[in-house]
Amino acid sequence: MDKKFAVLPCNGLDKAAGSLTREIAMRLVEETGSEIICPVFYRVVDARYNKLAEENPLLVIDGCGTRCASKLAGEKGLKIAGKININEEAKKNNVEIGASLRLGENELHLCDLVLKDILKEEEKEIKGEENVAGAVPENLEYEKFTKDKFIFRIPKEGFYYNENDCWAYVVGNKARIGVTDFVQKSLSDIMFFTPPAMGSEIEQFGEAGSIESGKAVFEIISPVSGMITAINEELLDFPEYINDNPYEKGWIAELKLTDFESDKELLIGFDEYFEIVKRKVDEFHV
Amino acid sequence: MSENTFMGVPRDKIDWAPTIDYTKCDYCMECDKFCPHQVFEVRENEEKKLIVKNPNNCVVFCRACSKTCGPDALSFPNKPETTKQIKEIRKELEGNG
Repeated sequence: MDKKFAVLPCNGLDKAAGSLTREIAMRLVEETGSEIICPVFYRVVDARYNKLAEENPLLVIDGCGTRCASKLAGEKGLKIAGKININEEAKKNNVEIGASLRLGENELHLCDLVLKDILKEEEKEIKGEENVAGAVPENLEYEKFTKDKFIFRIPKEGFYYNENDCWAYVVGNKARIGVTDFVQKSLSDIMFFTPPAMGSEIEQFGEAGSIESGKAVFEIISPVSGMITAINEELLDFPEYINDNPYEKGWIAELKLTDFESDKELLIGFDEYFEIVKRKVDEFHV
Repeated sequence: MSENTFMGVPRDKIDWAPTIDYTKCDYCMECDKFCPHQVFEVRENEEKKLIVKNPNNCVVFCRACSKTCGPDALSFPNKPETTKQIKEIRKELEGNG
């Protein structure tokens, strides 16, 4: 309990959502002894907060999709332990944030809800869900191609792909999913993984969490439909595993399949995907 | 983009592109800076300074630009419906083939 954070709010002054990040940061200081990293000062004086961020779990609070606080953390190479986006929290909790820059009743109510969530999360230790061990075999054989200094690996056998650069590896009525080398190379250093909710039902091509680098957020587009039965919890601490190998230790989640026979019709195998990804790499500089 | 198809379906038959809510958009142009596919176009001298110029360049199921949007002004079609649409078109094409 009472876990102390280093809190980095965006502190955006021109939107109520930005002011809310500051309010939440202040409440965390009061209630958990957390310490605030001022984004304005941090930009100017680098050394000021480095120690604080190193010694405490870093909680990043963004007001909106511009994600200024996340980007700042990325620029400074900080390791993010937890992340909140006020606009997304507002949607999730069905709270409307008003146009006024001052925090009103609604905004303060949202602040309470978010805080409750943060503190609750600290209480519950992540329970060890058992993963289907070895869903993807070791020593995968890859076909590779290079573009400039980048090497792209695509597993040759047993994987299904969608055209959104995500893969599924199916064993019986379960599938493991993840992203391909194209995604991790395009994003470069992945800093944060938002997993899909355990037990949630996902449609084919629905969102199965997201990953984020300093450059962008990538929505993981599930190649298959089903219920999430496991997530790769190691990625919460080590999202960089996706950069190391997105097929093996960088896998994203596992699902119990609902209708793979039908899903399969819209998926492609190695041959087709390899051609598509080569074309994409040629078209876009990564 | 030589053969402009997605899942074997001509891209222009699939309804998938962002819609800009002009009551929310603050023309920060983050989406345009982000999108590598030139879906948007900036028109400095017009009232609507940002438009969806090339909807068919938009990667089907990608909603990444909306995640860069501060004022939350971008929306997309419903995914399951788009999937259904793709399946139907594929069936039609198979029938014709």
